[in-house]
Amino acid sequence: MSIKTLTAGVEMRQISKRFDAVQALADVNLELHPGEVHTIAGENGSGKSTLLKILGGVIRPDDGQIFVAGEEKEFNSVRDAMKYGVTMVSQELSLVPNLGIAENVFIGHNQSKNKLGIDWKDTDRRALEILKRLNISVDPRREVSTLPQHEQQLVEIARALSFDTRVLLLDEPTSSLAPNEVDALFKVVRQLREDGVAVVLITHRMSEMLEISDRFTVLRDGKFIGTSDRSGVNENWLIDRMVLNKPKESARRNFQSSGRKAVLEVKGLTDRAGAYSDISFEVREGEIVGLAGLAGAGRTELVETLAGVRQRSAGKVFVNGAEVGTNSRTALKSGIALVPDDRREKSTIHEMSVRDNLMLSQHKFEITHRSKKSEEKIIKSWVEKFSIKTSGPDALIKSLSGGNQQKVVIARCLQTNPKILILDEATRGVDLGAKAEIYEILRNLADKGLSILVVSSEISEIFEISDRILVMHAGELSANLDRSKTSEAEVVAAATGVK
Amino acid sequence: MKFRLPSLSTLPAWFGVLVLEVLLIIVMAITQPVFFSGSNLSNIVRSSAIPIVLGIGMTYTILTAGIDLSVGSVLAFSGILLSGIIEFMPRYLAVIVTIALVTVIVGGINGTLIGRLGLNSFVVTLGTLGIFRGIAYLVTNGTTRSIDTGPLINKIGDGNIGPIPGPLFVVVILAGISIYILRSTYFGRDVYAVGGNEFAAKLAGIYTSRVKMNVYVISAFCAGLAGIMQVGRLSSAAPTAGAGLELTVVAGVLLGGTRLSGGVGSIWGTVIGLLFLQTVSNSLTIQGVSSYWQQVVTGVLLGAAVLFDRIRLELSGRAKSKEKK
Repeated sequence: MSIKTLTAGVEMRQISKRFDAVQALADVNLELHPGEVHTIAGENGSGKSTLLKILGGVIRPDDGQIFVAGEEKEFNSVRDAMKYGVTMVSQELSLVPNLGIAENVFIGHNQSKNKLGIDWKDTDRRALEILKRLNISVDPRREVSTLPQHEQQLVEIARALSFDTRVLLLDEPTSSLAPNEVDALFKVVRQLREDGVAVVLITHRMSEMLEISDRFTVLRDGKFIGTSDRSGVNENWLIDRMVLNKPKESARRNFQSSGRKAVLEVKGLTDRAGAYSDISFEVREGEIVGLAGLAGAGRTELVETLAGVRQRSAGKVFVNGAEVGTNSRTALKSGIALVPDDRREKSTIHEMSVRDNLMLSQHKFEITHRSKKSEEKIIKSWVEKFSIKTSGPDALIKSLSGGNQQKVVIARCLQTNPKILILDEATRGVDLGAKAEIYEILRNLADKGLSILVVSSEISEIFEISDRILVMHAGELSANLDRSKTSEAEVVAAATGVK
Repeated sequence: MKFRLPSLSTLPAWFGVLVLEVLLIIVMAITQPVFFSGSNLSNIVRSSAIPIVLGIGMTYTILTAGIDLSVGSVLAFSGILLSGIIEFMPRYLAVIVTIALVTVIVGGINGTLIGRLGLNSFVVTLGTLGIFRGIAYLVTNGTTRSIDTGPLINKIGDGNIGPIPGPLFVVVILAGISIYILRSTYFGRDVYAVGGNEFAAKLAGIYTSRVKMNVYVISAFCAGLAGIMQVGRLSSAAPTAGAGLELTVVAGVLLGGTRLSGGVGSIWGTVIGLLFLQTVSNSLTIQGVSSYWQQVVTGVLLGAAVLFDRIRLELSGRAKSKEKK
């Protein structure tokens, strides 16, 4: 006790960070006290993860200072951060897939040693102890790549617990966990709080943050909005600060499914790598279908197969009754266009212009001349239609904000005249204004008869936009619900596999 | 003050190399009059031509995030092939047949393995580097064959077409076509897209494996052509021709701002990068510096160029963050 714990507070002052065109953080402050659970709240793209990554030493701020126990310190690397007792569990898994669980937990630090080198038995024993606290029982020698995603997430957390941590950063630790796993995790978090550890939490689930947090800091569009103790906070307090202009409750579409023909029919589709199996459903003309589920349920893999960039082992796909081929070009020709879940990794080509990115799905014989004039005319019409903010068709796509980049990708898909448009987490990392605009665009398209399949992990988004809701759990379709006759609770139950 | 310098980040990456090239020429012209003589300048152009032709092909492969290490060996293979068939047909036909065979055989092997089967380009072309150099030695038993080149081959490799050096002519045509293809055709866009983000390119309906196959065919074509030029230059075909040249070529391409990770780069950059390397090497020779030092200098220049590019991007990122405040 406890001079050390009392003075182990961390303070971030005036932190700024910019990625290309996006000011991710501007003069943000964060104060952490020992023995508290501190939630950073904010919408997608508000800069929460960036702030955590800076404190974790993963990325360096452009500007600002970090104080540990009142002294300014440099956080230039993960190792620096660890030196001051800061450990991070990031959203993206950072395990070594072909090593065992125990090896991953203790990788790079604190290995048990005997005369011959590493004492594997003792390593296994200590790993098991930590895993037990998290309420999972697995063979510590098992290769991490063979674990389902939510268990990998727990291994990642176990790894953080293996350090002598003063500040634990948890970036969406619960997004792929089942309710009982969340309970176990929170039990550990409460224990850590009693031990004087400062736990920083990011979660999208309002109920979770209200359940466990002692303090809240709210970010919006990379700016510091406010900080408060638990006593002053309720759901409305948070929403008022997180959301600038609450998206007005838009008029629900009144969709009549009877008499509409099925545009997309999926029959018994099974993934070659086993991410999902025996999926059958259909999407009717002008219908917006939401596909809900937890991370790792196989939704992304399913839609990527439909778009022809992932292999199937069985099943057929039809568009307007005609069977669709198995590569991306034939899928596009049949009228299936996909806006994928990860813009940076899967859809934009950063070093290319807006024009090249938007026209990327236009194909002719390879040595054909691309007419700059006619392409620019097309670009101009999309820029006006979607109010895309860009300095011109030759601006690099990376100079646009996330929402505008996404509009370019949607325009690229629509330029192919699709019969069915699939959007996977289309509003992730998109600011609220653009989010509302994208919803509006989708509704208008559906009203004109386009069939749309929307994959989203945000239940509110699913309810906001869908006419019908499909739910996936562990690679299977677990529910097919009419939006007007179901509840969020029912969707959550189907997504988590509760019968 | 109204006037603003163009931002560092908007200038093409090769601009710095161009500035250095001009400075080097000025310094050399003042200090060593012999450097600026017509014969020396035309010598620089002639000796740059073969690396630039190889570099143009290399640019395609590196743009797709690949690499073609076999070009030096293929250059030698091409010359030997020409020496073998030139007696049986008219020279112009022998040239066409040689380039066609090299393109089909080498491009076919590299392209199929890398494009169709998805093998690693470094490994595959390291293999073909060995294979075609080996074949060149086996066929000739290690000896150099002299060839009666005739006017056509001589002009391509060494002579003049009118007042213009023949090799310069070849380079201008080849570079011109490539600049057009990469900038203004669907194939060019596909090349950048595959290197920039292969998954995105595939999702957008680009046949990525076909694009990758094609760039190795193009690179093989360039190496075949460079082999003919080399024969024209030396009036002989040697199995040792072009040994180690692939490294100079890669260095020049990278110096010209093409990124090894793919998706960024230009033919302009390649031409300037390789021209600069030849100018440096020529200058050092004139200054009486040992050729061993030239390799050291090339290495240092390459390191400096890559480092400079990195600093440039980093600085422009920070400047923007400050600007916004």
